[in-house]
Amino acid sequence: MATHIPPPEPEKVDYMDLPCPIPYEEIHREAFMSLKPEHFEGLRFDFTKGLNQKFSLSHSIVMGPTEVPSQSAETIKIPTANYEFGANFIDPKVMLFGRILTDGRLSARVKCDLSENLTLKANAQLTNEPHMSHGMFNFDYKGTDYRTQFQLGNGGLLGANYIQSVTPHLSLGGEVFWAGQHRKSGLGYAARYNTDKMVASGQIASTGMVALSYVQKVSEKVSLATDMMYNYMSRDVTASVGYDYILRQCRLRGKIDSNGCTSAFLEERLNMGLNFILSAEIDHKKKDYKFGFGLTVGE
Amino acid sequence: MGDALDKIKGFWRSQVYDEENWATNAKLLRAVGLFAGSIILMRNFGDLMAI
Repeated sequence: MATHIPPPEPEKVDYMDLPCPIPYEEIHREAFMSLKPEHFEGLRFDFTKGLNQKFSLSHSIVMGPTEVPSQSAETIKIPTANYEFGANFIDPKVMLFGRILTDGRLSARVKCDLSENLTLKANAQLTNEPHMSHGMFNFDYKGTDYRTQFQLGNGGLLGANYIQSVTPHLSLGGEVFWAGQHRKSGLGYAARYNTDKMVASGQIASTGMVALSYVQKVSEKVSLATDMMYNYMSRDVTASVGYDYILRQCRLRGKIDSNGCTSAFLEERLNMGLNFILSAEIDHKKKDYKFGFGLTVGE
Repeated sequence: MGDALDKIKGFWRSQVYDEENWATNAKLLRAVGLFAGSIILMRNFGDLMAI
């Protein structure tokens, strides 16, 4: 005799126990990681040497053409070669990163857990050129089902953002900023919906930017992503679609966009601590072809 | 009713038959089509890309 199996009851949502959302500035994190790898042109060689468990030094050589902004439609490239020296200190509570280039540019980043929920982040870029140096402080507070951030930067830059989990899958947030030097203010809103299989996010700002992204997690190793950036002030729009294969020995990412630009990025693990990198970007419209290869040694 | 229809027709002509506007609108349509089409393909046929 057939027994009647009652349909499964829908899970009751406890709205007082929602998960903590991801930080506001990482709302498009999955799409960004899949669609925007660090493309480069020419040769790149990175060597990281750990001196002890917390402290490491890095040496990086980059040789290749660098694009220079030009008024005409043609791309102007200047061959450059740079050596960058870096030092990293990584501790559960404090992280310090410093980099200096042969042309005198210094960049520094600090991340410090002031308490269990409060984090201080600071970053600075210093150059020889006047008025081109920047610095910024961020204070991040993590609540039970919300996050908030306060920013303070040079040039009178003040900013704040807040993001709240509204349901177990949906989080909504907003931001406001004031650029004192330029006497400009701005407002923005963001929304993110994620399940085990997909992540969809959208952001709109009063600066004219609209950004939408969608990532489908096909399996643990494969993700497909698409994004669209539209500026309603300048009426400029770009959409791209790509894939991200994370395999045992390599990671392959590729994409194509609506401006006729295709790109791919491969990181192959040749041996423990030895990675081979290939980068390619082909812009058919501008007839701009960029190919790069490199090696990364050390973790 | 006639005025509203004329306004709509005027707007349509300015967006489709004007060269500059059409170039921007075609770019926008291409991008939105790529974005929306990708989402539909991913959701329905994404499993074919699994390894």
